[in-house]
Amino acid sequence: MAVKNFGFSISRPRTIDMDKNNLRKSNEILRELPELQACIGCGSCTASCSAGLLTQFNFRKMHTLVRRGEYEGVYKELSKCMLCGKCRMVCPRNINTRKVVLLIKRTLGDF
Amino acid sequence: MIYLAPFTYPFIIGAAFMFLIVVWKYAMWFIDLPKEDVQKIKKGIFSKATLYSVWEIFRESLLHVRIFKRSLPLGYMHCSLALGWFMLIVVGWIETIVYLGNSFVPLYGHVFFRFFAAPVLTEHFWILDFLMDFFLLIVLSGVFLAWIKRFSSRLVGIRRTTKHVLTDRLAMSFLWFVFPLRLLSETVTASIYGGGGFLTGSLGELFAAFLPSQLLSSLLMPFWWCYSISLGGFFCFMPFSRYMHIFTEIPLILLRNWTLRPTLDEKSYDKFEIQACSRCGICIDECQLQKVLGIENVQSVYFLRDKRYHMLRLATAQNCLMCGRCQQVCPVGINLNTLRLSTRAIMRNIPSEQRYNYFNGIDRSCGEGRVGYFAGCMTHLTPKIKISMEKIFKAAGEDVWYADSEGSVCCGRPLMLSGETDAARKMIKFNEELFRKHKITTLVTSCPICFRVFTEQYNLEGITVLHHTQYIASILRSGRIALSPEECSYVYHDPCELGRGCGVYDEPREVISRAANLMECSQNREHALCCGGSLSNFVIDDFQQQKIASSVVEHLLLSGAERIATACPLCRKTLSRATERRVMDIAEIVSERLT
Repeated sequence: MAVKNFGFSISRPRTIDMDKNNLRKSNEILRELPELQACIGCGSCTASCSAGLLTQFNFRKMHTLVRRGEYEGVYKELSKCMLCGKCRMVCPRNINTRKVVLLIKRTLGDF
Repeated sequence: MIYLAPFTYPFIIGAAFMFLIVVWKYAMWFIDLPKEDVQKIKKGIFSKATLYSVWEIFRESLLHVRIFKRSLPLGYMHCSLALGWFMLIVVGWIETIVYLGNSFVPLYGHVFFRFFAAPVLTEHFWILDFLMDFFLLIVLSGVFLAWIKRFSSRLVGIRRTTKHVLTDRLAMSFLWFVFPLRLLSETVTASIYGGGGFLTGSLGELFAAFLPSQLLSSLLMPFWWCYSISLGGFFCFMPFSRYMHIFTEIPLILLRNWTLRPTLDEKSYDKFEIQACSRCGICIDECQLQKVLGIENVQSVYFLRDKRYHMLRLATAQNCLMCGRCQQVCPVGINLNTLRLSTRAIMRNIPSEQRYNYFNGIDRSCGEGRVGYFAGCMTHLTPKIKISMEKIFKAAGEDVWYADSEGSVCCGRPLMLSGETDAARKMIKFNEELFRKHKITTLVTSCPICFRVFTEQYNLEGITVLHHTQYIASILRSGRIALSPEECSYVYHDPCELGRGCGVYDEPREVISRAANLMECSQNREHALCCGGSLSNFVIDDFQQQKIASSVVEHLLLSGAERIATACPLCRKTLSRATERRVMDIAEIVSERLT
């Protein structure tokens, strides 16, 4: 039976199973930069992002995914960052976001 | 005269070893030089630059004028050791020629001349004896100061002295004993055979008067042996220690005057700069990371040391504000920032080539005009500066093309500072093409970080690049805008990238003094402090940044000014977080006082 296309559909399940995910790299990153745990996920970094203005790049999404052990595609996405440092200036939790970018890229490698 | 004595062997072996290693090192470095550097050498070698270099070598390698300017006792310490030892060698050669004519004398014959000559010489030239003793005394006073410096560096004019590695400590220990042992050996020789100048001669007489002659003759050989061993030991460690700078500064000065410079890509010339560092430690006191935060292992001296011994850690390379204060005071004139950048480039993570493919076809500029305005990322975070600039452009009646009003590609310098020079070049290329496409003739930017990379790395032929303070100064001079001065005093904070980076010191001051009262703090211009917000440091956290900012604000307000003016959005943001006073960009001040 052909499914009629109504222009919307059921979204793919977005459950992240923390028990299944390998958090080794994530823990490594948090150990080196504990201040990342202070992130409240406000999204100021993404809102001010130079690269985010030009593409769909979303820094908050990226580092949140990494902390939850979802590494796929993050390296490629983070490579879009221009390292201009605006996110660091606006971060209300004073997180060294530029180091977050470099550290995630270095730790994950081309995943 | 027969020059045969087993005690000279340690010296001969040490000197030969040192000579071979140094020659081998230099040969390797010269062979590895890239072609364009070889061309520069060929061009420069028979020019005035070479003559000038000889003068500079005399001034800096022997007299150490730049260290004298920094601190008198420290300058004297370096000068006495270098010039004193050099003169001992020169007068020593003259001495042998005067006494022995043109007959052949081996190297160790010159060095241990007193030992070989004292028993056979009958007549003495007092002036030579005097000079030899005089310079020995000078060197000894330098050694004495060096000892003091190890115990209390403050007495010698610097707050902190360098912490050394093992080879340095060994070489230094040998060096410390060389001249006291020379004094003792020559004194004992003089006490037995007579002769010697005002120092060794009189001490020798004293020895002869109070010590039995048997004891003196039994001491003679052990002292000369010790002197020879300490010389030989020093020479053995010298090429692997900081004392490599003694020789390396000479080719460095020559190469530098033949216009060789380090670049963002590491090359063989860097080795000359790295090994010419004497680890004097003058850079340590200048570093705000040390002064304010107490971080003690990342300063340029330690960076160069770790790089040289291949023990550099990423955290050390990346923990630097790149403010350039150390480079300003370095007595050897090493390009410390460039070396750090090229090192970061080697240690960088190498991402894919396609990472910036999204740049294609982006153009979010607006407006029409021959003058382009590139606000820069940081200015977008401090919109007051941008609005002020728009107001000023309007008041001056300028048609302006706004390059990045709705988002833009970064100038590339922040990425470059992280070491990713190759990726930054993609941004540079993109922006160059954007500027060319809109046919601008003048490019104004509000951000010194952008300004520096525009002037240094961009190929913008036919486009005049101006920082907004320069632009405002020029339209003020030509009378296109006028200001009504206010009764308020400002102290100007020199941004590192604009001041030391690009040499723009006067225009910002000119503009402020037309709009209000300008006051100065003691550490200004080339010696200005860094606000701490630098994009070059990837290690310190925000609280450490703010601590630096607070110390800078404190210093700025010592001038007695009511407000702080600066010319960099990043400095403005960093400083305003640390004070209740108003921190304003020059563009804001001007736009408020427009008539």
